[in-house]
Amino acid sequence: MGGSMDVRDLARAAAAGDQHGWNGLVERFGELVWSTVRAHGLRSDDSADVVQTTWLRLAEQLHRLQDEHDRLGVWLAATAKRESQRLLRSGTPATAVGEETDAKPAGGPTSSADNLVWWVIHDLPEHCRRLLRILMSTPPPSYEEVAAALDLPVDGIAHARAECLEEFRRRMAGIGITA
Amino acid sequence: MERQHNEVADPAGSGDDRLIEELRGAARRFDPLPESVREAARASLTWRTVDAELAALAFDSAVEPSTNARSSGDSRLLTFSAPGFSVEMEVAAMGIRRRLVGQVVPPQGARIEVRHPGGVVIVEADELGRFSAEGVSAGPVSLRCRPAAGTTTSAIITEWVLL
Repeated sequence: MGGSMDVRDLARAAAAGDQHGWNGLVERFGELVWSTVRAHGLRSDDSADVVQTTWLRLAEQLHRLQDEHDRLGVWLAATAKRESQRLLRSGTPATAVGEETDAKPAGGPTSSADNLVWWVIHDLPEHCRRLLRILMSTPPPSYEEVAAALDLPVDGIAHARAECLEEFRRRMAGIGITA
Repeated sequence: MERQHNEVADPAGSGDDRLIEELRGAARRFDPLPESVREAARASLTWRTVDAELAALAFDSAVEPSTNARSSGDSRLLTFSAPGFSVEMEVAAMGIRRRLVGQVVPPQGARIEVRHPGGVVIVEADELGRFSAEGVSAGPVSLRCRPAAGTTTSAIITEWVLL
């Protein structure tokens, strides 16, 4: 699954009501939508609601989005971003992911460095925390998808990524870990 | 590693790419998309409606800077617009429930389906277009409006909004 399935084929099938095609879109973009919402610091229950609202909107509009079938990742990221922002502006308390959850990884951490990595990520300045959280999505997002998820200009992303990773390394080194 | 189209990466294939891939692994372990959320996303297709006109969210007091649009501290005002038809809705939060009080414009009787992933509540708008629905669960909501008699032959659905 993944790269070999053309998104346009999935979208065309899903627009015609095919559940298989739709499930393919959820597989392909599910983590991107989740990462976008998590990057905005929503709590678990709010995150689930915003993700669902995003997919419901796509279901409603997919057959009206013919021109955008090859840019669905961008559409989904932009929608998830707007809905996250809408919820935050309406007064929902936001909590950084690391704070809100005990975030025990499934099957337990492979090493204590795992926990430190997660902690350092969430201790970064907000713009880096958000950018890295989106970049940590599987499969890797495109420049346009990242820009849509975060209100960043596309040509600033490469530089911001390098800067934020350098900051991450610096902080890891500060606690004695080479990354 | 096979690259997706236009994936964010360093063309020189640097240590940054390797580091991001490790971080990606950490995200998969610490904060993956929950299975219940994935399931809800899959199930969203069943709410698709092709035979209705979409009324877009035109106004949401929750995100507007001006405060005189709010009717009271705890209520939220929403307006959805389609050509020749709009729905105004006031939403009051009561714990995890929502009370909706709405108005169809132009004023006319209509059957209103309050659609929510947990189910559908059906209410009637009177001849002045007024309707209300109690005890709607918090979460994504979309109204499907069928004017009782009128120029529009198809139903109108409002854009999904998280209440």
